[in-house]
Amino acid sequence: MAKLKREEWYDLTRATNWTPKYVTEEELFPEEMSGSRGIPAEVWETYDEPYKVVYSEYVETQREKDAGAYSVKAALERSQYVENADPGWVSTMVAHYGAIPLAEYAASTAEARMARFAKAPGNRNMAVFGMMDENRHGQIQLYFPHAYTKLSRQWDWASKAYHTNEWAAIAARSFFDDAMMTRDSVAVSIMLTFAFETGFTNMQFLGLAADAAQAGDHTFASLISSIQTDESRHAQQGGPSLKILIANGKKEEAQTMVDAAIWRAWKLFSALTGPAMDYYTPMEHRSQSFKEFMEEWIIAQFERQLIDLGLDKPWYWDILIRDLDITHHGMHMGIWYWRPTVWWNPAAGFGPKEREWLEEKYPGWNETFGECADVIVDNLLNGRPELTGPETLPTVCNMCQLPIVGVPGSKWDVKDYQLEYEGRLYHFGSEVDKWCFEIDPERYKGHLNFIDRFLAGHVQPPDLMGGLQYMGLAPGEMGDDAHGYEWVKAYSQPKTDAA
Amino acid sequence: MSEEAQAAPEPLKGLKTWSHLAGNRRRPSEYEVVSTNLHYHMDNQDNPWELDPNIPMAKWYRKYRNESPLKCDDWDAFRDPDQIIYRTYNILQDGQENYVQGLFDQMNDRGYDQMLQPEWMPVLAKLYTPGRYLFHALQLGSAYIHQMAPASTITNCATYQTADSLRWMTHTAYRTKELSNGFSGEGFGENERNIWENDPAWQGFRELAEKALIAWDWAESFVAINLVLKPAVEECLLVQLGDAGRHNGDTLLGLLNQAQMRDAERHRRWSTALVKMALETEGNKAVLQALLDKWVPLGDAAINAYCSAIPDSPDAAADAKEAVSNFRQSLGLN
Ligand SMILES: [Fe+2]
Ligand SMILES: [Fe+2]
Repeated sequence: MAKLKREEWYDLTRATNWTPKYVTEEELFPEEMSGSRGIPAEVWETYDEPYKVVYSEYVETQREKDAGAYSVKAALERSQYVENADPGWVSTMVAHYGAIPLAEYAASTAEARMARFAKAPGNRNMAVFGMMDENRHGQIQLYFPHAYTKLSRQWDWASKAYHTNEWAAIAARSFFDDAMMTRDSVAVSIMLTFAFETGFTNMQFLGLAADAAQAGDHTFASLISSIQTDESRHAQQGGPSLKILIANGKKEEAQTMVDAAIWRAWKLFSALTGPAMDYYTPMEHRSQSFKEFMEEWIIAQFERQLIDLGLDKPWYWDILIRDLDITHHGMHMGIWYWRPTVWWNPAAGFGPKEREWLEEKYPGWNETFGECADVIVDNLLNGRPELTGPETLPTVCNMCQLPIVGVPGSKWDVKDYQLEYEGRLYHFGSEVDKWCFEIDPERYKGHLNFIDRFLAGHVQPPDLMGGLQYMGLAPGEMGDDAHGYEWVKAYSQPKTDAA
Repeated sequence: MSEEAQAAPEPLKGLKTWSHLAGNRRRPSEYEVVSTNLHYHMDNQDNPWELDPNIPMAKWYRKYRNESPLKCDDWDAFRDPDQIIYRTYNILQDGQENYVQGLFDQMNDRGYDQMLQPEWMPVLAKLYTPGRYLFHALQLGSAYIHQMAPASTITNCATYQTADSLRWMTHTAYRTKELSNGFSGEGFGENERNIWENDPAWQGFRELAEKALIAWDWAESFVAINLVLKPAVEECLLVQLGDAGRHNGDTLLGLLNQAQMRDAERHRRWSTALVKMALETEGNKAVLQALLDKWVPLGDAAINAYCSAIPDSPDAAADAKEAVSNFRQSLGLN
């Protein structure tokens, strides 16, 4: 409604750099916070954000978006969707809400880092909106699950998970702290907004939204697709930073940041999103497999964006493509086996019919991960449920903080990639995790993963109960099979032609 | 499933709210449900991040947040007196923006700028449009308080304050363009940086702002920005200049500044609440007072320099200083 068009005066909103006099520029924009990498302020002033928005437009649009998402929730409250939903879908939601809202809220601070310390004025303004967006994502994803806290104590983990030493929470903090909380503002724009948000938020917010819509969970579907509209806007802050770095001889450094962030995001998603999409979500509601989503949004779409910007495919691309058939299945088996150590109830997801789906989507699944499933099924059918639960500790990666997994069964290839650094032995789940460490050992060397802590005596008593206590999990919170093992019955019936 | 689980105590039951709020007597408000206890990086004071404990950002947060001289056992107990959340912020500010954009458009329709007195134009060019830089400094400072505050409820107040500062800067940019369209000779849209960097009227504010922006200790940053710089900016650029505008036929500036002042009043309410809470801890009064003793002279100097340049307003500096001093006295500080 304004008389002047935005483009007539927009540039004045980003003509805000001045030459400091009473302090030095290095004091005002310390390198460790700004990360200008020796590129002068005048060059950063050429940063041109592709998505332009001004304050009045922002508050209007966002008011409308919230009105939409909250009214869908209100309208559907009576339908008691969650109370009646398949327990596998409920697990997807409980896992999502534990893993996401506090990380989103923390992302607001990463945005504030750019809002304060970017030398590019356009980046500083856009980051204010990004900071507001993430404030929204934290709040709305606390408000929605709060309605369910009375149903089970696991819903409490939407607010609690990040405050615990539960292993998946450690892994999530490890990634987000590394990629967004402890980096300079240029690195935040690249590792958080470009690498993570351009690629992976699509997976979580559009992929899961597609499944939610199929599952009839319209509240969740409308919520997370509304969130993604913010993500796709503020994710565009990284592109202009990359252009400036590349044009100023910093391509290699930019590429390294992108590569490390994508790999670390992939590993976290293989544990949290992969199992939810391919095992917890009821088969008939799965719109695509996790691998298909990865192929669409990361392998195809994101790869194209990398090339368009003048970057290369990450050096490990072939490893990643191979691992799309492996890692998240291994994570799922581990999580189901170690189910008391998570705050959600993992659905096994390998009943006879589901196995047909898995074999179709992942040819060879029956010969590999299927063999683990066979052992579990046999033990359950033979009245030995205690053999389907944890007794030993897995090896945990010193980079991604997740169990080291690989192909089980006759094609066994689980391998611990080791590195000795300054007299300490580190374990990694892959060559790429090890590479992430080697880029900058100082960032990681003094950190203890869950197993390191166990061995250092932080977990007392040093057994499963002590471990659960250390992780903040009490009965009523710790996970168990989502369907109460009902699915095993299908195996005691006369065999279908499944496996 | 396992024997351990069966032998374990009674399973925890669902609760009416988050476990960390369940002990409160009152049912939590939407504000509390979505705003409290979100800074997981406050849990381990020795190492805020899930990384090596000695990376630069760990040192930064230990030194400037965890080891701040301002102490409190439970910063998470802080509550914004306005209980603003994201959802209500946008409702509130979309309404405010409708008002301001409506003002802009009505005035534009009437050829408002052409009716302004010619003597007033240089004043706008010198004392109004360069304010873009100072409002932007408030935006930067507020974003810093956001990232260093020890509780999410404090961070949220700084979050919305950052956005409000961007709002003021944006209004200034818009008006700068309108003025430059109507008056080509005054340097609107061109000279602001030079004036901000060199005109004596601005140098007090520039010194205060630049120094406040590198006050890294979070409490010092809060004092320098929210108790000294912002009140001074608001009393000078919004109140005194707005008042001068009304006396010189610039009704729009008065109305616009008044609208922005509503944001400023909200910022002062949360600042007041934070100081009140801080003062409950012994030793904090001395900490805050010492910080004010350090920063207030810069604030007063900034007010003097700026206000002495406002034409026909002999009392402007005294009035502004009295207003900021009254604000600080209302906090139980000087
Ligand atoms: Fe987000
Ligand atoms: Fe985001």
